[in-house]
Amino acid sequence: MAAMNRTVKFRKQRDALKSARAPLSSSASGSGIEMVSASLLGSRRSAYAPLSTEDPGPSSMDAFTVGLLPPDWVDYSEEVAANIQYAQYKMAELVKAHYKVLTPSFGEDSEEQHTIATLTHEITDLLRRSEKILQKFSADESSEDYNVRKNVQRSLATNLKNISVDLRRKQSTYMRILQQQIEGHDKVDLEMNLNDNKSRMEDDEFGDLGFNEHQMSELKKSVQFTEERERAIKQVVESFNELAQIMKDLSVLVIDQGTIVDRIDYNIQNVATSVEEGVKQLQKAERTQKKGGMVRCATILVIMCFVMLVLLILKEIL
Amino acid sequence: MVVVSAARDYINRMLQDISGMKVLILDSNTVSIVSVVYSQSELLQKEVFLVEMVESITMSRESMSHLKAVYFLRPTSENIQHLRRQLANPRFGEYHLFFSNILKDTQIHDLADSDEQEVVQQVQEFYADFVALDTFHFTLNIPSNHSYMIPAEVDLLNLRRFCDRVVDGISAIFLALKRRPIIRYQKTSDIAKKIAIETAKLMYQQESGLFDFRRTEVSPLLLVIDRRDDPVTPLLNQWTYQAMVHELIGIKDNKVDLRGMDKVPKDQQEVVLSSEQDSFFKSNMFENFGDIGMNIKRLVDEFQQYSESNQKIQTIEDMAKFVDNYPEYRKMHGNVSKHVTLVTEMSKIVEKRKLMLVSQTEQELACNGGQVAAFEAVTDLLNNESISDIDRIRLVMLYALRYEKESPVQLMQLFSKLARSAEYKTGLVQFLLKQAGVDKRTGDLFGNRDLLNIARNMARGLKGVENVYTQHQPLLFQTMESIIKGRLKDVDYPYVGNHFQQGRPQDVIIFIVGGTTYEESRSVALQNASNSGIRFILGGSVVLNSKRFLKDLEEAQRISRSSTAVV
Repeated sequence: MAAMNRTVKFRKQRDALKSARAPLSSSASGSGIEMVSASLLGSRRSAYAPLSTEDPGPSSMDAFTVGLLPPDWVDYSEEVAANIQYAQYKMAELVKAHYKVLTPSFGEDSEEQHTIATLTHEITDLLRRSEKILQKFSADESSEDYNVRKNVQRSLATNLKNISVDLRRKQSTYMRILQQQIEGHDKVDLEMNLNDNKSRMEDDEFGDLGFNEHQMSELKKSVQFTEERERAIKQVVESFNELAQIMKDLSVLVIDQGTIVDRIDYNIQNVATSVEEGVKQLQKAERTQKKGGMVRCATILVIMCFVMLVLLILKEIL
Repeated sequence: MVVVSAARDYINRMLQDISGMKVLILDSNTVSIVSVVYSQSELLQKEVFLVEMVESITMSRESMSHLKAVYFLRPTSENIQHLRRQLANPRFGEYHLFFSNILKDTQIHDLADSDEQEVVQQVQEFYADFVALDTFHFTLNIPSNHSYMIPAEVDLLNLRRFCDRVVDGISAIFLALKRRPIIRYQKTSDIAKKIAIETAKLMYQQESGLFDFRRTEVSPLLLVIDRRDDPVTPLLNQWTYQAMVHELIGIKDNKVDLRGMDKVPKDQQEVVLSSEQDSFFKSNMFENFGDIGMNIKRLVDEFQQYSESNQKIQTIEDMAKFVDNYPEYRKMHGNVSKHVTLVTEMSKIVEKRKLMLVSQTEQELACNGGQVAAFEAVTDLLNNESISDIDRIRLVMLYALRYEKESPVQLMQLFSKLARSAEYKTGLVQFLLKQAGVDKRTGDLFGNRDLLNIARNMARGLKGVENVYTQHQPLLFQTMESIIKGRLKDVDYPYVGNHFQQGRPQDVIIFIVGGTTYEESRSVALQNASNSGIRFILGGSVVLNSKRFLKDLEEAQRISRSSTAVV
């Protein structure tokens, strides 16, 4: 893969040409004002290239961007990007929390469950909010800027979708393991009780068939445990449903890979045809407008003529 | 991954070093080059949020200084003009210019001259100047492909342009592979010789510094041959998947346009057929039509099973699983319906044009002897009303190529029968004979020149063939075999200059002036899969099907006729 960098040569030529041109153009422009505005804008520029980490370019470029604030969607995209990053960070925490709950421990893990619930909630909230912002992107459909916006929206949507899929997958595995644990727990409990009962029955045939105190407390504990787990599962399911909604909304925006929509040339063609369509529509609109104005003018003139005629006749008669 | 990955690497390198939001600006050539190897979603990942044509970017005045412009253009004078206009009134914050081939010094000067605002950040040459259709197959998509058949004295300007583009494309391939080849060409073809000599001049004299890579191994071989040496392959009906789609419907840059067909679902009007993205296509592109039918049935069954398992949603868990699998499901659904649509359309066409019948005779003409039987078969088909015009002329052409010398009388009879068809004139057959007749050809197209080949043919005839419809082997296959065995004759395929082959080459690039066919691309892919130790890469000025081949012939005939009228 050979490549050849011609930048140096280009720069040299450009500088040479510039110095040749310099005596001609130095008197042409008052560069003082430009410099001031450029330095003012210098700090701005870095803000509206949100995905860039590069330093602002040479000052001559800033002078060129005078008076051009970035469109507001740039801020939105920045916000969504930040949200995505934050969500990813939260995801990592969530994974840790899941791990803690699922490893068998003797302590209370309701606290962990609580953190899981809040974390999940936070992430879904972030996703939902980002998704809301994304909707704002396609507010009006004019100009070339629309395509840029749409593409930014798409790429962010793809990222969001990946996160939500990831979250869903994690939640579902978590839920599955949790459920297995409950089932296992119940089975063990039940068997234990049965065995207990059986042995007791053999021991003491005429004895009380009810549970003794020990069994009662055991049962209570297991009921409590089950309830807790169930609550956890409910929470997960809730978050699931929310996620499903988000997914649905996002899937409209995301491109299916390997299809014609994913082809670069197809997209260019589409843009070209839609622009052409637009021009045609505009021309049509112009035509009808013109026609409408003309007809109205003619009508008014005719009416005026009539009125004048009546006036004239009236004047003649009187 | 050879050609494809080379092009992809160039684009990756172009985009990854420039941070921030970008707009990619292409010309009509580089659009194809980029589209076949890169996808829209990959571009989005690289923060390219707008793709535009170089012509349309100058139309709008709206400023987008928050975007950085990445240009990837061929270094043509029109493109330079567009760029100059843009640089005089820049719309974007930064300009990064990439050119797909070697820039002239004057072009750099012109660009530097118009960059008064110093918005250009870099100027680079990235040699992705070829459309990488497949791992071992590239094309140049030259629109005026007929030029190669026109003698230099008739239309020098277009011939010049054609040659330049081919030389550019070939040199780009070698720059991308970082090799300098030994060059051979087909002796009987003027255009092949011209291209070979010009390429050698560029690589060994004008840009010898650029092409001076470390020479540790044996140099690769570049073989330039002429389409007219094997005019039979583009005239045959095809029965393997990829070739068949191209022959019957048409593939352009790995895209199939189905808009002309009736009853095509709305989302399937244009489909992508790329072995990179579609694993079913990758494993079936070289299979023959019958097997494809079976494999598609299997694919549909699989899909049915899959969708059934997705339909049983009773518990929350099922639901979760379904939502998880939904994207996969949708992708599979799209893919299955794509292939089903294609195969349905093709079998409709086969039915309508009676291609089973026609193709059998075609294959007989191309592969076996027996002039009397062949004449009868062709006459029968010409009398058959339901055979379309294009199939008739192809049959006569094949007959004429095969029995050019043996039976001029019978050929005249066929001509008179053909004269009734409206679309094509019999003059076209004579033009083909003039262009690609037996006197002009180098290779042993029908295997009847020397005793060895005749014997081999007879042996094959005794053995019988597996499939009547796919028994034809392109001439390229023989050429590749002789290269592997080191038996390509120096008399027929001479070297350019004094750079001779030492030892067996590991990479061989065969360039067919006038266009490749998918049948040949298949042949190359199969040869590479057989591990002979030599890797073949096939390239051509376009990818032909019979329609395109006939169109080129007509165009060339028209031009040379009008020129003789003037003279």
